[in-house]
Amino acid sequence: MDQSVAIQETLAEGEYCTIAVQGVLCKGDSRQSRLLGLVRYRLENGAQEHALFLYTHRRMAITGDDVSLDQIVPLSRDFMLEEVSPDGELYILGSDVTVQLDTAELRLVFQLPFGSHTRMFLQEVARACPGFDPETRDPEFLWLSRHRFAEPDVQSPKPREWNSDPGTRSGFTPIGGGRYQSRNARRGLEDVLLRSSSYILPGGGATEESEFLLARETLGGGTVGGRSARGGLRDEALEEADREMSAGGGSRERDCAGGFNLDSSRPNGRGLLMDQNSGARCQDKPDNFTRQNKSKSEITDMVRSSTITVSDKAHILSMHKFGLRDTIVKSHLVQKEEDYTYIQNFRFFVGTYNVNGQSPKECLRPWLSHSTQAPDVYCVGFQELDLSKEAFFFHDTPKEEEWFKAVSESLHPGAKYAKVKLIRLVGIMLLLYVKQEHAAHISEVEAETVGTGIMGRMGNKGGVAIRFQLHNTSICVVNSHLAAHTEEYERRNQDYKDICSRMQFSQVDSSLPPLTISKHDVILWLGDLNYRIEELDVEKVKMLIEEKAFQTLYAYDQLKIQVAAKTVFEGFTEGELTFQPTYKYDTGSDDWDTSEKCRAPAWCDRVLWKGKNISQLSYQSHMALKTSDHKPVSSVFDIGVRVVNEELYRKTLEEIVRSLDKMENANIPSVSLSKREFCFENVKYMQLQTESFTIHNGQVPCQFEFINKPEEYSYCKQWLTAKPSKGFLLPDSHVEIELELFVNKATATKLNSGEDKIEDILVLHLDRGKDYFLSVTGNYLPSCFGSPIHTLCYMREPILDLPLETVSKLTLMPVQTADDRSQLENPMEIPKELWMMVDYLYRNAIHQEDLFQQPGLRTEFEHIRDCLDTGMIDNLCASNHSVAEALLLFLESLPEPVICYSTYHNCLECSGNYTASKQVISTLPTFHKNVFNYLMAFLQELLKNSAKNHLDENILASIFGSLLLRNPAGRQKLDMVEKKKAQGFIHQFLCSPV
Amino acid sequence: MAKQYDVLFRLLLIGDSGVGKTCLLCRFTDNEFHSSHISTIGVDFKMKTIEVDGIKVRIQIWDTAGQERYQTITKQYYRRAQGIFLVYDISSERSYQHIMKWVSDVDEYAPEGVQKILIGNKADEEQKRQVGREQGQQLAKEYGMDFYETSACTNLNIKESFTRLTELVLQAHRKELDGLRTRAGNELALAELEEEEGKPEGPANSSKTCWC
Repeated sequence: MDQSVAIQETLAEGEYCTIAVQGVLCKGDSRQSRLLGLVRYRLENGAQEHALFLYTHRRMAITGDDVSLDQIVPLSRDFMLEEVSPDGELYILGSDVTVQLDTAELRLVFQLPFGSHTRMFLQEVARACPGFDPETRDPEFLWLSRHRFAEPDVQSPKPREWNSDPGTRSGFTPIGGGRYQSRNARRGLEDVLLRSSSYILPGGGATEESEFLLARETLGGGTVGGRSARGGLRDEALEEADREMSAGGGSRERDCAGGFNLDSSRPNGRGLLMDQNSGARCQDKPDNFTRQNKSKSEITDMVRSSTITVSDKAHILSMHKFGLRDTIVKSHLVQKEEDYTYIQNFRFFVGTYNVNGQSPKECLRPWLSHSTQAPDVYCVGFQELDLSKEAFFFHDTPKEEEWFKAVSESLHPGAKYAKVKLIRLVGIMLLLYVKQEHAAHISEVEAETVGTGIMGRMGNKGGVAIRFQLHNTSICVVNSHLAAHTEEYERRNQDYKDICSRMQFSQVDSSLPPLTISKHDVILWLGDLNYRIEELDVEKVKMLIEEKAFQTLYAYDQLKIQVAAKTVFEGFTEGELTFQPTYKYDTGSDDWDTSEKCRAPAWCDRVLWKGKNISQLSYQSHMALKTSDHKPVSSVFDIGVRVVNEELYRKTLEEIVRSLDKMENANIPSVSLSKREFCFENVKYMQLQTESFTIHNGQVPCQFEFINKPEEYSYCKQWLTAKPSKGFLLPDSHVEIELELFVNKATATKLNSGEDKIEDILVLHLDRGKDYFLSVTGNYLPSCFGSPIHTLCYMREPILDLPLETVSKLTLMPVQTADDRSQLENPMEIPKELWMMVDYLYRNAIHQEDLFQQPGLRTEFEHIRDCLDTGMIDNLCASNHSVAEALLLFLESLPEPVICYSTYHNCLECSGNYTASKQVISTLPTFHKNVFNYLMAFLQELLKNSAKNHLDENILASIFGSLLLRNPAGRQKLDMVEKKKAQGFIHQFLCSPV
Repeated sequence: MAKQYDVLFRLLLIGDSGVGKTCLLCRFTDNEFHSSHISTIGVDFKMKTIEVDGIKVRIQIWDTAGQERYQTITKQYYRRAQGIFLVYDISSERSYQHIMKWVSDVDEYAPEGVQKILIGNKADEEQKRQVGREQGQQLAKEYGMDFYETSACTNLNIKESFTRLTELVLQAHRKELDGLRTRAGNELALAELEEEEGKPEGPANSSKTCWC
């Protein structure tokens, strides 16, 4: 039930009760029920101020008459409402939430019911707190003053009455009437009275006086305070007194207490109180500090999470970033490469030739086309293409074209080739050709150069490289000319390392880091590596060559030694050297160098490789070529290349995408519900029915919430509530939801008429997930409560004995046609149910004290309702107070009040003019007139016995005024003037004979 | 390599209770089939990525409750769809007759330009057939829709019909897509775009009313 409605009725214009919660105010050992309403006031400048209104109330507050204002706590800058854990108690999930309200002046502790409503309340309060923004002005709370000024109007303080009937005279309340004093409040009063009388009061304070004060204090007055302190009451009572005093919404400043002539005899009383109190609080603070901080952060967490519930769809979609998805797909594709590719051998020809600056003078076929089978790929490297200064400085040489032409003409005649790439750094050139039919499968071709010559950077030495993708295999071919001279092998090692580290290929996707040589499936390294044969003198070398003892000679090869020492070409393989060293010959011959330097022969020109599925078919030099002082070297490989099976690729890709989809689908929040259909049978007026179900969460944390259906302002019909209506669930956890069905005056009439049915569908929405529909069905048992007066007059039978169609028809019947008696069967003068209740009270309760001012019992009310609706009035057995309350409820639940809405303003105008008032009454529809006169007669009857029942005209006018006259504009505003006029109107009829 | 464009949009399955909407969805997204019927009470959805005309399309497929009493609510989901499957059961004349009503609901609640496709499901149950193939074709023709007879059980025409509706939606949004192609490096979510557009629809569907 939304009790903010009841609170709203007590509020003045411009004040709005955002949310209300029922809690227990804990003062020491006493526990008093309070309604806490958060009230917002909008200032003219658009700013808002908030205050917490605390009310005592009837068990279940339905209208403003059920509550009476107890105190107001403005949400000033120093206001804090925080969750605390009760001292020395373990927190139990589902137990009440203890909150502590702190301002500069007071501290109150409440227990609020566990659940989402309390959460919401705390969030709302947290949100309403003004905070510490220096930009905004301090709230002034001028609007609260009206509640202070209202007070003396309503009640004229008569001490005798305060003692005799404290409940109705709460110090600063009665805007909303305060028809009853809440039982809790009264109990609290008794407690305090008892307690205080048992204290020994030193210092000559009269016990009697103290009692009197305490009583007043509990009345919510906040009027006294300082007085009782002197009596040496417990700290708790002190604090309470202080709290009351300042809390009273600031209605009475401390100084005001003096106005009651109570402080005069003890000038020190107040000081003492304050000292003690502030002392106590100081001790308290550090103790609570950490705890408060913690709970503060919890509260902010709550606020944050609740805003997430407002799901921003665009945001959610962007969470599945497509880019990320693409990357995942790619990496999965790499992992599963073997599933959709097969190995196919490609024949590679790899050649290297140091041409010593010469132009091509002879056909290169003996070198390039020596094998019978045409290679698929040619990788041809040259060194010392041009030794001229021009080539070095201007990087331009006619030799490039010459040698490119020479190579192109000497490629294997058995196939057609396409040049893929040519790259040159001064004299170091690399050419890449493929058979035409493979050209389509070559991709991502990149070429780079690295100079390691003069200054470690120039292009007289260094390397060039081409990388490419053949089908699904990445290949890098490097041609290098490393440092010369026998003793410079370490320089050569360094050149190799420099080439490896500085050779970087940019990638298609510029966001990816550049590729290095080592990041390839296959690496082919050729060139004049310049490693020599060491330790042997020239003649010994030549002799071994003569003997073709290449194995022996190989042992002295620097490259072999350096590779074995893992200082260079780590992971590379070289085939067996079965040919004589390719350096250095006299140009144009096969004779060893005869120049002055008389260089020792060496295997300068080499081919190495790295990678899987590579087999070397040949590795040889070509003595037939005599243009240079080097002989060209060639190596033929079969290299296994990964070729994509398109069909398998598609299938694999689909699988990956499917698995990603599946993963994503598995991450959509999903829950199971223990029950989805709820049937509420034989729902009765004001009788709570509850059905519960459990939400079991799956594997994904989720936020759930009942959401509004389109064009509806609430997630369900007015008579239904889900508790909690939203929340958060961890994986594999569950929560129990209670659906509470409660029909009150606001919903009863339409259920009687059939315009509304116990039928609803609730939409349980998971954030980023599915929606679940819950269906609610049931039937409502019509009741006289909520039925119009004239309808009841036409029901000669008890309402439950009538067919539903008849009830519906009679309920829908407009009040005016009802006056046209000819059409329908003879109606009764007044509703029989009204007569039954009044008659009962007349017979049994004419002398009842506090009649209409004490609450009835719920169970008895249900019994009374059933008796009225079934006509079994003889069985009626209930306390006078319960019947009295039923009567009030009956009047309250009339869809059209006894004084019809249309006559409301007329009545107010006539208030004070009895003749005119009677005139207005005579214009009411007959049944309404009858009921009015009947009630007035009854009330007068009661007043005749006022000596016994202590009723007077004022009390009755105040109770019945707001029931018989109701503002047609609804409950939005309850003007005090109007209220007084309504009471005055009734008052006239109570004082005069009908 | 050309940049691949991603598109995200929503397809919706509607039709009488028990015609096999959930089964169509399960078969399409998970390649699973369960013959037992569990009524969908609410609105469920699944994601699926497919490629159409070289465009990677991510579709969010919404499966709705078919039961009549929920229809006032499920209708509210229509306006978020770019494509709608109208499903009947070839072994139920009644479900076929109701297509008319479903179509009029779509006309009323779905956004303009929504693509529709007619599905006669349970094509494997030939012996129980009450609705002829021609009847389906005829009805589809009347409404200017494509028509497929499908079977979630035997996996007949499932992929085809989903792909076809996707194609239709793509065609209908050709303009937006072309506009996108000129804006290199961007991803597109039709659903997202339309959501943006749909936002200022007033406070009625602010915070609390979330129909996603």
